[in-house]
Amino acid sequence: MIEQGVQYLFVGLVLIGGGMAALSRHVLYNIIGLGISLFGLAGLFLQLGSPFVAAMQLLIYLGGITVAIVFAMMLSIAMVLNPPARTPIKTAFAAVSALIFGVGVYGVLSKATFASAPPTAQEAWGVGQIGYALLEHYNLVFETLSVVLLLAIIGAILIARPDRTAERGENAA
Amino acid sequence: MTLDSYLLLSLVLFCLGLFAVLSHRNLIAVLIGVELMMNAASLNVMAFNRFSVADPATGQIFVLIIIGLAAAEVAIFLSIALNLYRMRRTIDVEQLTELQG
Repeated sequence: MIEQGVQYLFVGLVLIGGGMAALSRHVLYNIIGLGISLFGLAGLFLQLGSPFVAAMQLLIYLGGITVAIVFAMMLSIAMVLNPPARTPIKTAFAAVSALIFGVGVYGVLSKATFASAPPTAQEAWGVGQIGYALLEHYNLVFETLSVVLLLAIIGAILIARPDRTAERGENAA
Repeated sequence: MTLDSYLLLSLVLFCLGLFAVLSHRNLIAVLIGVELMMNAASLNVMAFNRFSVADPATGQIFVLIIIGLAAAEVAIFLSIALNLYRMRRTIDVEQLTELQG
């Protein structure tokens, strides 16, 4: 009973947060909505039997990505203070295309049947199993991901850094 | 909750993200829509991992990789947004039309 209630609470958090993130016109409310939605998803991951992924969701998404988005919002503050009005035609087209997509996928989902797996042992869900699988079967993916992250960080620094050579040229002239 | 209800929730979340991407004018709000869509995909993978796969480690690793790639994507996206703001003083996607054909 309590478990059901907690589950519905998390589902509610996901939906309310998602609605705030998608529908509000103020970017700060969008970001807060994204944070609420991510928190609810971490709870759902916990319900789905994976505390490790839930913790990573909280740490990386809620602790890292959301804070980075807030940071970028603060650096581009003019857009936040004066959000231009939306054109109703664009909103209507966006809503219609999202609805068409949703109805189409729901049509496929309602006809599909998925095989259900035999219940697995509790140990199979542990962090140890993830570690073994990561280093035995998915070694290459793991290393590639680390290289991708390193390249992304270096690339982000290079792109975001102000152009030093142009400044030096202006100072000299 | 059954597999179907998780899939339905993930579909709703994906549609909200799609609407956010298509309707917002602020580049950062568009990024938030993309994040919602990626999280819907993660929820999908975790639900299938729970209900219809025999080896539960694979789906969790899949979701971890999605989270890692999302972090890389956000870093690049935000630095591009900051650079655009510095060059054009705007991150309104409707005014960034220089590459329009």
